[in-house]
Amino acid sequence: MAIKSTETQWGGMAKLLHWLMALAIIGNGIFGLIMVEMPRGMGKLNAFALHKSIGLTVLALLLLRVSWRWFDRKPRDEPMPRWQSLAAHLTHGVLYLFMLALPLSGWIMNSLHGYPLQFFKLFNLPALAEKNEDLSELAETAHETLFWVLLLVVIAHAGAALVHHLFERDNTLLRMLPFARLRQRKSGDSP
Amino acid sequence: MKPVACLLSLLFLSSPLLAADYTMGKGSTLGFTGTFQGEAFKGRFGDFQAKISYDPADLSSASFDVTVHLASANTGDTDRDESLPGSDFFNITKFPTAHFVTTRFRQEGGKVIAEGTLDLKGVSKPVNLEVTFAPREGGATLDVSARLNRLDFGIGSGDFADTSTIGAEVTVNAHLELESKT
Repeated sequence: MAIKSTETQWGGMAKLLHWLMALAIIGNGIFGLIMVEMPRGMGKLNAFALHKSIGLTVLALLLLRVSWRWFDRKPRDEPMPRWQSLAAHLTHGVLYLFMLALPLSGWIMNSLHGYPLQFFKLFNLPALAEKNEDLSELAETAHETLFWVLLLVVIAHAGAALVHHLFERDNTLLRMLPFARLRQRKSGDSP
Repeated sequence: MKPVACLLSLLFLSSPLLAADYTMGKGSTLGFTGTFQGEAFKGRFGDFQAKISYDPADLSSASFDVTVHLASANTGDTDRDESLPGSDFFNITKFPTAHFVTTRFRQEGGKVIAEGTLDLKGVSKPVNLEVTFAPREGGATLDVSARLNRLDFGIGSGDFADTSTIGAEVTVNAHLELESKT
């Protein structure tokens, strides 16, 4: 598998970043919903610290991903109606916004609470806002709501990929899967 | 008794009176600085009493006696402040106060060090204070600072003993506005 993307398929780097971030974001979201229910104590403090470190990792991966995407070529769209292609690209844009907004809202919320922000006990990051308990409640709601909305967009994104795979029988999903072999186009099809 | 001896004994008897006694005035603060997740946080004890006897020219007669009501600890974070009175930290139901009393004073370089014993959470250990004393009209200001290891006193036990999250070293600072006893 080539590192860079080709005309027909995503490269190793794009696939790795796609699936790694999908796992990190959804996993960290579920983890976040669980950790807030934990009883107060060191376990909870450590869970929050881990959640924040994973969130910061997502933010770092996003920067890498956007840079790579700018540098890498993109495979051309599979043959599909124009509205589908537009909807797909719009969804991708929205997903990128969420990948930025989710960790950033967490960082801001953490700052408003006045908590330290430490990356895997290695180093600390500065606060993005002055401590403000009232606003922190608002940021907390925003942070959680963003996750639920993101989940809806992810379901739409994954659902569309599945529809293309199962009913259109094209390569939309396969070309993003690691180690998958692309389907050959039926004769007579024109891209 | 010979007059000289009489005079001498008078001098010795009166010497404790030479060390000025002070009461604690408004504007006095007692604070501490700890670290949590790599970042310093400050706390205050709103309720404490200090009996100070101090004469920079006669350290042998000086003494500090401080009582701190641990329930008055405030670090500006609700979760933390609700944890501090509990048994993992100060355990205030069993040990409501901390007590520090000096045993001796000594000069070290240009600094004055007050050696004493801190009684905190059922543990008595020696703690040294660095003393800065400045006389002023009607009294003096006294600044002291000490560094101690929270684990020596069992502050943050069980899971909370993990110093990679909660630093072991705690700095204690006091600023006292002293008023001369008349």
